[in-house]
Amino acid sequence: MKVGLRLAVLAMLAAVPAMVLAPSARAESTLDKILKEKKIRVAIDVGNPPFGVLDKDGQPDGSDVAVARQMAKDMGVELEFVQVPSTGRIPSLLAGRADVTIASISVTTDRAKAVMYCNPNGALSIVIFGPQSVAVKTPADLVGKRVGITRATLEEATVPKMAPQGTEIVWFDEIGATIQALLSGQVDVVAMTSFAGKTVADGNPDKKIETKLNVTTAYYGPIVRHDDFELRQWINTWLFINAQNGTLAAIYKKYTGLDLPPLPVF
Amino acid sequence: MNYVFQFNVVWDHFPELLTGALLTIRLSASAMALGLCLAVLCAYGKSAGPQPVRWLVSGYIELIRNTPFLVQIFIFYFSLPVIGLRLTANTAALLAMTVNLGAYASEIVRAGIEAIPHGQVEAARALGLKRLQIFRKIIIFPAVQTVYPALASQFILLMLSSSVVSTISAVELTAITNSLQSTTFRSFEFYFVATGLYLAMALAFRAGLSSIYWAVFRRGRPASR
Repeated sequence: MKVGLRLAVLAMLAAVPAMVLAPSARAESTLDKILKEKKIRVAIDVGNPPFGVLDKDGQPDGSDVAVARQMAKDMGVELEFVQVPSTGRIPSLLAGRADVTIASISVTTDRAKAVMYCNPNGALSIVIFGPQSVAVKTPADLVGKRVGITRATLEEATVPKMAPQGTEIVWFDEIGATIQALLSGQVDVVAMTSFAGKTVADGNPDKKIETKLNVTTAYYGPIVRHDDFELRQWINTWLFINAQNGTLAAIYKKYTGLDLPPLPVF
Repeated sequence: MNYVFQFNVVWDHFPELLTGALLTIRLSASAMALGLCLAVLCAYGKSAGPQPVRWLVSGYIELIRNTPFLVQIFIFYFSLPVIGLRLTANTAALLAMTVNLGAYASEIVRAGIEAIPHGQVEAARALGLKRLQIFRKIIIFPAVQTVYPALASQFILLMLSSSVVSTISAVELTAITNSLQSTTFRSFEFYFVATGLYLAMALAFRAGLSSIYWAVFRRGRPASR
């Protein structure tokens, strides 16, 4: 009798947190919230040409920024940019500071453990480049060289795997610092997107910077938090329509100078 | 927000975090020792040196105290190679930290020197002590003792601001934390643990600095002899 009473009390106590925590009805989704507040918060990285940059007036610009602007316009909501460094692209989303991150985040299975990908909106190549005077023709030539890479990027996920033992890899927090390290000779070569490499080479003709190796080619797309299926589905619908009508290709061509390759979906 | 904390990832990588913390400690401790020497030299130069030296020291102090630490680090790492001086990230970090601390600490030490009553120096001179002896025994020792708490705070501040040197690829605690969170995507967990490590290091440094104070100033006090 007494034991039975104790058990009943325990069971009631155990049920309290479950009742408090369980949502009464279906919780409001992020998409509901965006539509209700008429505002979408998009995390962007403006330190990563040509996907995100600041224009002459200090306003965000770039291919991913243009995608975000068009998306918000078609959704009929106000757009609020959340500017983050490359290392902050996933944390700011997880912390709830942004509803979606559109910042050339290439699709990897590791990242998919933390966030949910929408379909890709572009493709990029990671290359190793450096001055003409540094002789690198095959991955084996990287032995003994100092290779600069940026944290929280695709190159961080791929270069250490392809570089042979004896390569000295040097990590920087921002792409700007990685570029500066190459220009000041603190590293021999750097790895980043072919687009960024072209910007650096064009901006510093005296350094005679050239592409040495192709590391990988990847697709990148917007990311949302796990569970935000409604938002992901809306973005995928938008991507589908704008892949069909040529908007995505036009944006890609405008900022990268290249034709958008066919984008597979998943 | 339904965020599930997963600290087991952090414990898997804990040895790496400790390696980073060790570099933070090494950099900070070296910069504290070197910076204090620099500060004492500068404080002496500014309070007792010839006019050109005073100007030089004042210029150095004002330059360092009125520019951001991050910019100073960038100059040591990215700009010195232009004049042919290529420092590794750790050396550049140590140099920048020493130079930065030297400027702040020399103003603190100078305050201590100015608090020494002038009569005490005159008395030492009357007793026939040499210039260097006076500086060592009559001026700098009591001066540092007076301002020791302020110096200790500055040292802790330096240790905490060393987190900035990850920007020039020095792999101290913040750099390791950044790398790990960017590959595991467990940023909250890693930053929580890093915060705890910084707190532990700050408390340890505080305790260490206190014991140095007791060992140096309370036990073998030469002035009382």
